Amino acid sequence: MPKGVAILVGTRKGAYVFRATAARKRWKREGPYFAGEPVYNVSFDPRDGASLFAAVNPTFGGPRIEVSRDLGKTWKTASNPAFDDPALTFKRTWHIEAGHESQPRVVWAGTEPAALFRSDDRGMTWTHVPSLRAHATEHQWGPGAGGEGLHSIALDPADPKRISIGISVAGVYDSADGGRSWAIANRGTRTVMPVPKDVQYHRCVHHFVAHPTVPGVRFQQNHVGTYWGQNGGWREITDGLPGDFGFGAALHPHDAEAAYVFPLEGRTRLAPEPGAAVWRTRDSGKSWKRLATGLPRAQLQVLREGLATDRLDPAGVYFGSSTTGDLWASADEGKSWSLVAEYLPTILSVSTATLA
Amino acid sequence: MPRVSVRLHGVFANFAGGARSATVDADTVGAALDLVASRYPSLRERLRDEHGRLRQHMHVFANGEQIENAGGESTTLADGDTVHIVPAMSGGS
Repeated sequence: MPKGVAILVGTRKGAYVFRATAARKRWKREGPYFAGEPVYNVSFDPRDGASLFAAVNPTFGGPRIEVSRDLGKTWKTASNPAFDDPALTFKRTWHIEAGHESQPRVVWAGTEPAALFRSDDRGMTWTHVPSLRAHATEHQWGPGAGGEGLHSIALDPADPKRISIGISVAGVYDSADGGRSWAIANRGTRTVMPVPKDVQYHRCVHHFVAHPTVPGVRFQQNHVGTYWGQNGGWREITDGLPGDFGFGAALHPHDAEAAYVFPLEGRTRLAPEPGAAVWRTRDSGKSWKRLATGLPRAQLQVLREGLATDRLDPAGVYFGSSTTGDLWASADEGKSWSLVAEYLPTILSVSTATLA
Repeated sequence: MPRVSVRLHGVFANFAGGARSATVDADTVGAALDLVASRYPSLRERLRDEHGRLRQHMHVFANGEQIENAGGESTTLADGDTVHIVPAMSGGS
């Protein structure tokens, strides 16, 4: 039986950890860690139950990855991911993902320029996976508003060799051989670029996740549309949502047909009227329900790493606002919401650690 | 070999574990930077990227002059010179 949850929050000015018991009623704040420095992602390693990885991308001293073995109490700086190609310079880390359960020392990192790095020592040193940038479509990749980043890493819980990544702007790429080779995997998704229908690149995946325990369940929020993974491609499930734009996307930890998004109005990139709401599907996108009990009638924004679930039952759902610095939690799968913290710096990422 | 002082300002002292200065034997600014990074390994990747280039948002001064306006990292040093590593005045974010 899990003892509790920690919400891991990356902001424009440091990282925070909020802890609670499994009831998730009262939250204790820790941090800021790396005060004043942008933290794009803080991720948890459920294999050891204690490691955190922070993607710290400051102005001064260049980007770095910080590793904690005690849930954030102390941190150690890792050796930087590094490119051999002098035309490429490590600019920032977008996402860090603990490896497959069968590979307890493996950790993955997605960077800008868009690239995948692998660690075989639990995050302390990193090796570039060159096969991805060797893909024939690499010259078609380009930056979105946030840069050209590899921001999503999704593992298949049944097969450590199956790994998928998401790049803006390029799309989703799958590997079935542990990262030796890659196949573009955007069939079924749309693009606003004027390219022939059979062109699969120019896809602006905003966030992409795979279910932690059920193989083959994949979910993405795209610049144009929300999609459910199906037969190696994607089925658009935007109908029933207030629009096709958004950044955050999260899967329910137990119900493999349930997922959450935070839709945004495409032009302003704020929650559409009447205000902030998380939307949930329980039938893999055939229908959607607006969940806003307790949320303000305010046009908040949630970024690509800003929406997350925990692994408790009932599942907790969390999001952080980049516009107001508010952190919101639901301990009842999104039915009702309460404020965990307000007036934090711009929230860039929210993830969770379910603590045994 | 000239004996010079390297002063670490602001966040660069933090990156060196709190050290604010180091004395090294070096005849160029580049050599002085590398020696201080050898003494404080946690500083190495904060000064240079993976290709050895000095990072952005950092200024290096030797004897009151920014090295970009002198000889860059090849700027020569004499006994008693001081090198400063200073965060740039990069505000606004």
